[in-house]
Amino acid sequence: MSFLNSYIYYIGAFGLIFIGLYIILVKHNLIKVIVGLGILDTGVNLFLISVGYITKGTAPIFSRPGIDSEHMVDPVPQALVLTAIVIGVAVLALALSLAIRLYQHYGTLNLRRIKEQRW
Amino acid sequence: MSEVGSLSNGVNPVLLIAVPLGLAFAIPLFALFWKGAAKYIPPAALAFNLVVSVLLLPQVLENPVIVSIGGWQPPFCINLVAGPVGVLFSAIIALVGLLVSIYALDYIKEGPTEKYHMLYLLLLTGATGVVLTGDIFNLFVFFEILCISSYALVAYLRDKAGIESAVKYLIQGAVGSSLLLIGIGLLYGQFGTLNMADIAEKIASASPISLFVPMVLLITGLGVEAAIFPLNAWLPDAHSSAPSSISAILSGIAIEVGLYAVARVIFTIFGASNILLFLALLGILTLLIGEICAFSQSNIKRMLAYSSIGQIGLILFALAIATSYGVTGGLFQLVSHTLAKALLFLAAGYMIYQTGSLQISALEGMGKKMPLTCLAFTIGAFSLVGLPPFIGFPSKFLVVRAALATKETIFIVFIGLALLGTVIEGAYFFRVVQALYFKGEKVNPGRKEAPIAALIPMFIFVVLIVIVGIYPKLVTDVLNSAASEFLSRTEYIKAVLGSIL
Repeated sequence: MSFLNSYIYYIGAFGLIFIGLYIILVKHNLIKVIVGLGILDTGVNLFLISVGYITKGTAPIFSRPGIDSEHMVDPVPQALVLTAIVIGVAVLALALSLAIRLYQHYGTLNLRRIKEQRW
Repeated sequence: MSEVGSLSNGVNPVLLIAVPLGLAFAIPLFALFWKGAAKYIPPAALAFNLVVSVLLLPQVLENPVIVSIGGWQPPFCINLVAGPVGVLFSAIIALVGLLVSIYALDYIKEGPTEKYHMLYLLLLTGATGVVLTGDIFNLFVFFEILCISSYALVAYLRDKAGIESAVKYLIQGAVGSSLLLIGIGLLYGQFGTLNMADIAEKIASASPISLFVPMVLLITGLGVEAAIFPLNAWLPDAHSSAPSSISAILSGIAIEVGLYAVARVIFTIFGASNILLFLALLGILTLLIGEICAFSQSNIKRMLAYSSIGQIGLILFALAIATSYGVTGGLFQLVSHTLAKALLFLAAGYMIYQTGSLQISALEGMGKKMPLTCLAFTIGAFSLVGLPPFIGFPSKFLVVRAALATKETIFIVFIGLALLGTVIEGAYFFRVVQALYFKGEKVNPGRKEAPIAALIPMFIFVVLIVIVGIYPKLVTDVLNSAASEFLSRTEYIKAVLGSIL
């Protein structure tokens, strides 16, 4: 139980990553694949944040006079995740606009049928 | 910001990234007032980059220039490492980007052209950032700028093939980037730093088992963009469906920058020598699969795209030999592939425009109709196959010599397979050249040459291919310094971290 307690965030993050990868690899519908991409991004961001967590640490802001840096969580992964969230949003927006165009051309979003490019 | 390392002529490498980035965002503003202004800004920005890179080059061959952003010291800051490798790549990116942007002055006419030029300049900014940075998360950010711009540019023509290729490229590229980010997270969790030199220094104290997963994730994530087998399923579709100027940039710069990132991770950060044989095997597999698939193509751009896969396999094999000859040969092959492949795509662009078809059989007899363009294509093809007096010959020769110098049977087997790949490559390129010149109707059709804005870049590529092919000594000094930067990790670490003392 203590193992679960100390590693729960990593288990959750990798669970989301594997769910996202499963969706991208298995599902036929392009919108589902894009949702899977979003879940994968969320899982990766959660993993990055968990790396920076220090037990019983608080936000890395000098918010009251008595606080010192030993009781804060690591701020670097938070900066990484902010950047990664923005990159993820941009990729999802581009993917969805491409999905709209794809539907206009093919009339379907089924990736098994959108295979005009062959060998 | 503080700079360490002599900046005797005062040129700051940050300008190589800042100026194209700023101008890229200024393009839509200029396009508000004068629509035609958008297409002249990329050549201006890239000419500036080329001049700055060439000015920096003599200086960085002795000592790399380390620029620390924000006034912090390494390893706490994001720093740029303008060493021989970085400035060499930056000069190549600027040169090829400049020539293709001149080509695009007349080639890109329909659609939202200002968005094309902005995305184009952002792609090249991302590429320059990847090769100059010394921080692994900064590598990820610039790598994403490069990738996302290329996803959007592949879809630029908004036709059926382009959108389908862009969707597939995007999904594969985004999964690769997520794997890369997981690898970076694992490295940070283990070492507490994001600076490449700092990680390199601390790697020695870590057990090889705990390094295996981050290394595999990083190579896989970067390998999607570098088009290593089996991660290159996106490449034939994307490179053949994009507009020809973008195909030239993707084949000539984007995949090479991906391969640079793989090399930087393997050589500088991990210093891994036990994975090199596996990478050499992957390189040869990529080479053979690329060349064999290219041989069976009837669509010319798809054929050139598979040829790119093959050449990347050869470059990866040469880098994986990891001797001084090997890395120099790999970098030389990289330069020669960039020049030749960009020239091939530029020439093919106008040949396709004239015939309206992508089939090789439609190109029969073009040698009389577009003599200069077809001559450029022929020179690019001969250079890629490795015939003298073009640049492909000394570069391939150096790779073969490096493989034979290792005196290990496995590398000799590999180089035998690589030469077999070269024979197949010669077969399909000569088939195209034969169609251009020796087939088609005997009646002489009128000459309809490509416009002058396209002929000038092709002519400059031809001149570079011939001159460097005849005098390879012009570039071998730079390539040797670049190879020694890859191979001597301790020099790199000392240059970056030693600068705080």
